[in-house]
Amino acid sequence: MLIIALLKGVPARTTQVAQVGGVLNREAMDLVLNPHDSKAIEAADFLKRRVGGKIVALSMGPDMKLIPLMKPLFDAEVLGVDEEYVLSDRKMAGSDTLATSYAVSLGVRNVVKRHVDAIDKLTAQVKKAGYSDSVRSLAAELYGANLLPNSVYSEIPAITDSVVQRFIRGETTAGEAIRSLENEKEKLSRYIVVSGVKTTDGETGSVGPQVAEGLSELTGRTVPHATYVEDFDIEPSSLAVVSQRRIGQLSQKLEMELPALLTISPDYRPREPVASGQEEARRNSYRGKSLQASKWTAEDLGADPKRLGLAGSPTIVGSGVEVGKPPVQKALGRSIVFITKNPKVEFGGKDYGPFEKGDLADGLPEGVLAGLKADGALGVFSYEMLVEEIFA
Amino acid sequence: MSAEPKDVWVYLQHTKSGLTSDSYEVLAAGRKVADKLGQKVVAILIGLEVGSMAKEAVAYGSDEVLYVDDPAYETYFNLRYIDAISAMVAERRPYAFLFVANELGKDLAARIAFRAGTGLATDNVQLEVEDYTNPVLGSFKDLLIQVRPDFGTRLARIYTPRHRPQMATIRAGNFAPLRPDQKRRGKMERFVPPVKEYPAKVKEVVELPPPEVDLRGADVVISLGLGVLKDGSGRPRDPREAYQYALKLKDAVEKRHHLKVEVGATRALIYAEVKELEGLIDKANQVGQTGTTVNPQLYFAVGISGALQHRVGMRGSQKIVAINTDPSAPIFKIAHYPIVGDLYEELPKLIELIGGGVTA
Repeated sequence: MLIIALLKGVPARTTQVAQVGGVLNREAMDLVLNPHDSKAIEAADFLKRRVGGKIVALSMGPDMKLIPLMKPLFDAEVLGVDEEYVLSDRKMAGSDTLATSYAVSLGVRNVVKRHVDAIDKLTAQVKKAGYSDSVRSLAAELYGANLLPNSVYSEIPAITDSVVQRFIRGETTAGEAIRSLENEKEKLSRYIVVSGVKTTDGETGSVGPQVAEGLSELTGRTVPHATYVEDFDIEPSSLAVVSQRRIGQLSQKLEMELPALLTISPDYRPREPVASGQEEARRNSYRGKSLQASKWTAEDLGADPKRLGLAGSPTIVGSGVEVGKPPVQKALGRSIVFITKNPKVEFGGKDYGPFEKGDLADGLPEGVLAGLKADGALGVFSYEMLVEEIFA
Repeated sequence: MSAEPKDVWVYLQHTKSGLTSDSYEVLAAGRKVADKLGQKVVAILIGLEVGSMAKEAVAYGSDEVLYVDDPAYETYFNLRYIDAISAMVAERRPYAFLFVANELGKDLAARIAFRAGTGLATDNVQLEVEDYTNPVLGSFKDLLIQVRPDFGTRLARIYTPRHRPQMATIRAGNFAPLRPDQKRRGKMERFVPPVKEYPAKVKEVVELPPPEVDLRGADVVISLGLGVLKDGSGRPRDPREAYQYALKLKDAVEKRHHLKVEVGATRALIYAEVKELEGLIDKANQVGQTGTTVNPQLYFAVGISGALQHRVGMRGSQKIVAINTDPSAPIFKIAHYPIVGDLYEELPKLIELIGGGVTA
């Protein structure tokens, strides 16, 4: 099974955010993996242990930055990824959530298509060459490229009854083998996409559900989604996903058929592994890790340029807004305030006051202050005054 | 098909006991925007037996209610609701469409926006209507100005100049509900959505009890930040001590002034997963952009530096007392009563004064 994890590189520090006209310049910043994405990886890891398959990381942004960023995930034996695709193209720069979701949906579709193409190629060879070593060598090549699961072709000792192995041994007819391959192709269309609930830069939480919608549009097949998933399981034979999530004032259990998309809550904890079904999981798995990340451009994705980048983004980020006016401050132990009610004071031909107890004396001319101080009207703002004022 | 997109739509959430409190806020936000535009507010209500809620929506500011009333919509199921609302949008073409920025509002709004091919500005704390000129795209009259936190460093204006509806989710706590007017009359219109089959189904829905920590209903909020982990000289401290001080302060204020007090926390402190605070402070206590927005009479920011994400969640507080060792902490920019000092020394003084009234 294809387990596709959507990962994002986000600015490492908010103090070092490079923006050009409201658009982030990710090339000019240090990036880290979006902290919420670690839950997507935990969920992907759980899925792989439960039903087998391959964890494919899909991210979008400058490949020069993202590929090194994802390297530790690639190298990880536990909680890592098996394969990586980076959607990287200047044409995608400045994408808002709509344009991002469109590009990511195309990326998911392309990941699936790449695996479907491998089976198609193999099917064509079976049709063309029949019982021939060319079928075996093509299968070995595709298996080596991590494009075929063990159920189609395998080189691990535990599996000897893959579609191609049985066919080569003459246990199945070409027709039977082709039907089995068709079945394997259908299985590929039952992929699962996982992501974090949101990213720490945009903080919208929109891209997950929008990718589900984008995939529905692109594939003509409704892809259900569940956001903020706190717990889920997958039934290995039917591949039904049952997720538990909190939305607004509801706690909901949602059952989904694959393909489906889940965004994983920070409160998610993977379930304990189940011993049964390991053999089937192994059949659904692939040879191992692909060592090279693949970069896909807008053209590779077959994207409509009008739907990418700034052109494809309905929203525009404008100028900033002041976060409220600075308040009148009375600093404990520092501000000078009136400790008594005080009538108007005349100084240099001008009137000041009258003053209430607690009024700030900051900003009054020195001459006025001197007189007031001499009268004992002023004091340093104390805890007693503070407590009196805050409950007034 | 109508010529120009018009009207401000608001999506109303509800439970068995009626409209959620956030729904009154989205009605108020819609009313404000619609008045500036000279347009109508249309409340979107989906469920079973929604009649009394529709009347309430009118009393709280909507001019029309477009509703679905059908047993198939009794429980919330995202795909079915999204299809119904998207059908409404395609048929009527609203000018703007507002949702509450909680998990449910976002669950719906994101897919609806994608299907409509329009933008979605999330988590807005302010909405305005202004003309907008862009050097490349030209001038636009009466645009919805969506104000949301951008990147933890500022509040940014978001525009959706060329696409309709202009969609936004609003953060509850920022838009005060209107006073209900039972005499207001509104048009009620039933919508019958297309029926479809889905590759998903709702197995179970449970309404959650109201949160134990009622931050939004509190008169006074005492919030703790990462500063509780160290004292003024930088030595590590057991944060349970600070938590105990917060409880003592809460107790003193409640007893002396008969006010409702809750303990809050910053996201930084909650996500730091401090072992000592386990079971004492969790997400229900979180004040800020991704937690609860509060506007109490009095707010104590204890050991909080004041990242923008936190400030947008409490900047509406009437009086803000901030205790921090760092005089340059951003929280002091918005505090009415800055206390530069060690919280482990300052809190006991406050508690003593409020509780006993004994002068130190």
